[in-house]
Amino acid sequence: MPEFTLTSAPPLAGYDQSFDGVKLGAPVDLAIVSIALPLGGEVAAEKAIKSAYGAALPAPGKSVLSKDGLARLVRLSSDAAFVIFTHATPDAEPHVAEKLKGAAYTTDQTDVWSALEISGAKARTALERICPIDLHADAFADGDAARTSMEHLGTLIIRTGGDAFLLLSASSSAKSFLHAVETSIHNTA
Amino acid sequence: MIINHPHLGPRDAAEFIYLGDASLIDRPDWQDENATEKFYEYGYLRNNPAGEHQELWYHEQGDRSWLVVTRNTLTHEITKVEMARDVARARGRSK
Repeated sequence: MPEFTLTSAPPLAGYDQSFDGVKLGAPVDLAIVSIALPLGGEVAAEKAIKSAYGAALPAPGKSVLSKDGLARLVRLSSDAAFVIFTHATPDAEPHVAEKLKGAAYTTDQTDVWSALEISGAKARTALERICPIDLHADAFADGDAARTSMEHLGTLIIRTGGDAFLLLSASSSAKSFLHAVETSIHNTA
Repeated sequence: MIINHPHLGPRDAAEFIYLGDASLIDRPDWQDENATEKFYEYGYLRNNPAGEHQELWYHEQGDRSWLVVTRNTLTHEITKVEMARDVARARGRSK
């Protein structure tokens, strides 16, 4: 029998571009694991998350970095959250499940989402035409997160710094999403 | 139109999908004596008020939550937005 080896090929791998006042790139080896808080077991799950990451699960629409700064906990709704961290091998889910000791349901989302990092003085200007969320720092502070849609594509946007945002969208339409963001950068240049 | 989500704040109505009358929460008991009649009413009969209306909206391009929105059908003014789960629990549902 012939031997096959699989090579992972994320749709936006290696993308890194600089524009006037905006930097856009695809982060390398970004792992995403979703956490679902069990009905009736929310308190125990939140406790387990806190002891695993040294940071309390924030309110919906917020995110925090773990104590060691390596993972970001994003609360999407009252009973769902994401852990986003850098992890090269395709075993992100057991990594998180082990830390939570069965207190919550975990699902690997790494291959389902594609990420783009957008930063720079004009990043917010570039996003304002396609993002329906108010991204002014007074309305969308550092660490704030929102699920919304941009150019009809479902998107999770997280503010990771003063002028930096992480955008997550579906892998199956990742190139269309990249095109939408690039177009908006050109249109607002 | 802006819907002020109880957890996430004001969001554009384009992120939501409309289902219909919030009376769908009150599903009849299937063991009731006149269950057939009640399910007929539950399935097909709706009030059509010119004024305040409670309706179910789904935040599909958001946190996937179901909301009960109180909207005036004459002015489209939204006066109240609640989590459907809280409304159902307040009406005696267990989950």
